[in-house]
Amino acid sequence: MASLFFLFVLPFVVVLVVLTVIVRPRPVRIPLKGRHVLISGGSSGIGLALARRAAAEGARVSILARDPDRLRDACDAIRLATGVDAAALAADVRDPEAVACALEAAGHIDVLVCNHGVFLPQELDRQSLEEVRFTVEVNLMGTFHLIKAALPAMKQRARESGLPASIAIMSSQAGQVGIYGYTAYSASKFGLRGLAEALQHEVIADSIHITLIFPPDTETPGLAEERKRRPDVTNMIAASSGGMNADDVAQKALHGLKSAQFVVPCNFEGTMLSIATAGLSPQRSYLMAFVEVLGAGFMRFLGLCFQWNWFNIIDKWYTKKTT
Amino acid sequence: MASLFFLFLLLLLPLVVVLLLLAVIVRPRPVRIPLKGRHVLVSGGSSGIGFALARRAAAEGARVSILARDPDRLRDACDAIRRDTGVDAAALAADVRDPAAVARALETVGPVDVLVCNQGVFVPQELERQSLEEVRFMVEVNLMGTFHLIKAALPAMKQRGKETGLPASIAIMSSQAGQVGVYGYTAYSATKFGLRGLAEALQHEVIMDNIHVTLIFPPDTDTPGLAEELKRRPEITNVIAASSGGMKADDVAQKALNGIKSAQFVVPCNFEGTMLSIATAGLSPQRSYLMAFNEVLGASLMRFIGLCFQWNWFSAIEKWHAKKKRK
Repeated sequence: MASLFFLFVLPFVVVLVVLTVIVRPRPVRIPLKGRHVLISGGSSGIGLALARRAAAEGARVSILARDPDRLRDACDAIRLATGVDAAALAADVRDPEAVACALEAAGHIDVLVCNHGVFLPQELDRQSLEEVRFTVEVNLMGTFHLIKAALPAMKQRARESGLPASIAIMSSQAGQVGIYGYTAYSASKFGLRGLAEALQHEVIADSIHITLIFPPDTETPGLAEERKRRPDVTNMIAASSGGMNADDVAQKALHGLKSAQFVVPCNFEGTMLSIATAGLSPQRSYLMAFVEVLGAGFMRFLGLCFQWNWFNIIDKWYTKKTT
Repeated sequence: MASLFFLFLLLLLPLVVVLLLLAVIVRPRPVRIPLKGRHVLVSGGSSGIGFALARRAAAEGARVSILARDPDRLRDACDAIRRDTGVDAAALAADVRDPAAVARALETVGPVDVLVCNQGVFVPQELERQSLEEVRFMVEVNLMGTFHLIKAALPAMKQRGKETGLPASIAIMSSQAGQVGVYGYTAYSATKFGLRGLAEALQHEVIMDNIHVTLIFPPDTDTPGLAEELKRRPEITNVIAASSGGMKADDVAQKALNGIKSAQFVVPCNFEGTMLSIATAGLSPQRSYLMAFNEVLGASLMRFIGLCFQWNWFSAIEKWHAKKKRK
């Protein structure tokens, strides 16, 4: 009886012990208090919620967005809620010079949150290439612009202060699985992951830590706009994951950022999705690594069940439409 | 003895149940894409993997068009295809970054049955050192270029599918760097990962039009493109890329074409690629219940192995930086 017990438990213990040794990069804590946090798309939605929380935790906050009026309203809201005066930077992330100017004005950054994003769902055969380009320019190129502009000073600052820095990138559950209506959006969000995995390799030696956040549908002005034009099928599929409010997402995001987690899911479905799509992403926590290794097979099975469900939805909807 | 037998059954039964369930649920359903007598268009088809694909497709009796920027290279490629297969491929000179040029080119050759978005550029460098122009170049060619091709081809593909009743294919050349991002590949991996997001969503949108999406994930392949890339690859990237063996363009083309014909969503090209595909299966669709079974069984081990690779890579990065500091 005892031998059977050992036979079953031992491999798990061995795996756990091996994982504690091999997980890379090593765990790190990113302090926020007194440090400079810059948030793009910080005048509304998740970005504003992030800015407010970071300010409440004692960070020096800068928010970057296009519209000066919305920026001013956001700064007022942050001051009202936390007493902190956030800096407002008006710039379009599609313009690398404007981004560079804005970041220079803001001073060196400790935590860069590339949170801005646009999402225009539509079937690719109906969507204009202008909208596809817009999505890729803002979500993907815009993030490249921010990181390029921030990196030199970030590296310098991390060297001088000896403190770990962070580059956090707001992705989406649509950046873990591509679904109907999201060719351009998923392309841009998946792209951010490729960027993040490679970037972590490049900046780990400079004590800069990459974090990807994967929220579900979040109650924001952006989502309200998106809903006006979302295809039926997309709505049905997106219902597979519950929605969240911006502040809860911000809380999860900040928490993950402070632990330098590479992948930050925001709700239960998100955690399952993260295990299913862990791929070859780095994992700093040996416990989470253990969960990923144990759960991977089951999550793949669940994922295939979801695709079964989704392709059935698509089939039914189109069949109904043609009859 | 009997108890051991029962134990064996207890372990085997869930596996059989899973296999049966998978046989029922895998979507989309398997399909075969015929090539003979059908129109295959290959972008980036004048050299490397694209050229090898075009030649093989022609050898299988397809009507082949190749799209690329340089008319001279296109002509040389057509000559080579004619020499090897007797088939006259159509040559389309266009830059995939220009949607109007792509649309015009596709219009001249008529509806496409198998669209192979194979064009790609790869300029490896640490993001901190790389110019934004190079980043943009890769995004424009690899990602936007593919959007341009698909947008231009879709209406006629759908129409053609309705008329012939035959399944069509949109195949997209990705890379193992589109399954895992590694040092030096921020822009390239961004574009190749992006193609996967595009492909997963696109399959949902076009399945009812009997169009089937295929992603191909080659390792380093012996092509003129790779020769250029190797001239400027960071040392660390070379160290990491050595984790997967290289291949010849024609072998990649063979794997690719086989995968396209079976409408596989994910087509790995070598052993490491197969392991990588299981590790990064994510929520991608899987038409083969046997492959699905492999993925479900192998996922845990593959995640573990993946973590081992990252341990190896981060150690290599650490060592390299320590050595550099000492100098």
